Amino acid sequence: MASGKFFSMSLAFLIVYTLYVNFGYVRFMDAQLYNVYLYDPAGEQETVSASVRRVSSKKELKKAILDDTNSVGIDASTGEPRLVFYEAAEETDRHRADYALSLLLPAGKADTRVIGSRTPEQRARKEITCELLFFEIAAVGFLGIAAVLFKEKSMGVIKVHAILPIRENVFLLSKLVIFLLSDLIFALLLTLLNVGAASAVHILPGVLLQTGLLSLMMALTGLVCALLLKDFRQFTLAYLVIAIFAASPVFLVANTAVKWDWVRFHPFYHIYMGLKNAYFGTDAEGVYYYLGYLAVIILLFLWARRVFCREMRREG
Amino acid sequence: MIEVKKLTFSYGKDKEALHGLDFTVEDGEIFGFLGPNGSGKSTTQKLLTGILKGHGGQVSLFGKDIGAVHNQEFFQKIGVLFEFPYLYANLSAMDNLKYFSSFYPENQLRDAEELLEKLEFKRDFLKKPVSSYSKGMRQRVSMARALLGNPKLLFLDEPTSGLDPSGAVLFRKIIEEERGKGTTVFLTTHNMQDADLLCDRVAFISGGNIVALDTPKHLKEQNSSRSIAVSYLYQGKREEKSLKFSELETGISFPYDEILSVHSGEPTLEDVFIRYTGRGLAG
Repeated sequence: MASGKFFSMSLAFLIVYTLYVNFGYVRFMDAQLYNVYLYDPAGEQETVSASVRRVSSKKELKKAILDDTNSVGIDASTGEPRLVFYEAAEETDRHRADYALSLLLPAGKADTRVIGSRTPEQRARKEITCELLFFEIAAVGFLGIAAVLFKEKSMGVIKVHAILPIRENVFLLSKLVIFLLSDLIFALLLTLLNVGAASAVHILPGVLLQTGLLSLMMALTGLVCALLLKDFRQFTLAYLVIAIFAASPVFLVANTAVKWDWVRFHPFYHIYMGLKNAYFGTDAEGVYYYLGYLAVIILLFLWARRVFCREMRREG
Repeated sequence: MIEVKKLTFSYGKDKEALHGLDFTVEDGEIFGFLGPNGSGKSTTQKLLTGILKGHGGQVSLFGKDIGAVHNQEFFQKIGVLFEFPYLYANLSAMDNLKYFSSFYPENQLRDAEELLEKLEFKRDFLKKPVSSYSKGMRQRVSMARALLGNPKLLFLDEPTSGLDPSGAVLFRKIIEEERGKGTTVFLTTHNMQDADLLCDRVAFISGGNIVALDTPKHLKEQNSSRSIAVSYLYQGKREEKSLKFSELETGISFPYDEILSVHSGEPTLEDVFIRYTGRGLAG
């Protein structure tokens, strides 16, 4: 029996995430263009954009970059423009470098414009919504179902089900359906509120499919952990293991400059990318991805059924 | 209703809990299963209710072998009261009963509110969460849960535990009423008074064996010293004398001025139990 607190908690998270995306993340990501400083003592750069700020010495260039760490410096003292950064990150710097060099080209040769509906804000919204949804289902929802089950376990009510006219499979499914529906509604609202209805319409089927699969897998894992482990303290340890070894590498690789080739073998990476691809409207997952998912869900269900029966028959 | 032949059960290698039990429980009978902790009575009940599997010997319930009987249809016909009142603590009595009743076919369900009323449950608490109930109130809700599906076979484990004396009397009355309707009751208890007052027959189980099985009356009669103790006054002095039943046939043969009290030498059910098992029920 699902606890009302679980659903209240989900609602609270939905509100917090939406406020964060709309009033925090998107504004923060909406940064000004980078300042570009040019040191060109011989005046060899002829078509320099008005946005470029000229400096008179290498020392001044260095000072400007130190004061404005997000800026890009161009040292053209040797004739060939050489880029100077305060700090480096592969993806960002490629973007900054392209932008800085474009300002040295003749006007109209390298203008930037928005292509299609994929504005930077829309991209940012999709990215953060995907991350929050993944986090909510993989970490918070998983914790929620385990907390509910631990409570039922401590009350001993699971034992009563051993003598009730129930079909164990149907009973377990009914429990899962509650959490599945809750996660689907959560994903629907989170996507509509943060990506916007117009964009959400096209991506929702894919997002809901990925959410449903992830939700089932995490709910079953939470169920197995709650029934298998002795108390909530033991569960906290298992939770840490899942958080550290399962989710952290995926987040690091997906969102930072960290590159680990082995992440290709990490199942959560594919699950996360499945959700991300759904948000960006690309169906990159093949049949093996879905077969793998299905196999994991079936195995987890059989395991959950086994531990549920064991808990029903437990002494005490 | 229940037929058990050479029932054995082991929790593991060299841990045989039951060593070949034989007993039958007739339709409409209240059958008491008495034994100290660890004697095997809970194991037997768990095997009968299908909670435990992997027994040896033959067991049949409702005329069918136990292996084939533990299905949905079986669980619709039984009611089980556990030793501890397992309920959803955050839900009210009514919500608990509504939830548990959802597993039974509607046509066999009893009215939850009526049941609670019968069990003298305080009306003010009907919609309050179980966490605010006393042990006795929780026991009442658990009993209502066991009776919800109108069972034909009722397994009761320590039904009067946690109840005050008037609550215990009420529970015994309700169990009698259930029997009156034809329900068979399998009662597992430590409480000798419950067993003595309620059971048609009792089995004493000790160390995984049934050491005695009969009606409480017979068991007491068989173990009786067949004598009475008489206290009386004679010439201003208080005296006591033990008389065999055979001596009574000719009347009181000794001189006395006033009979003060007469006590039968019949043992209590607990005395009989100790005689058979060598230990009390608490051990």
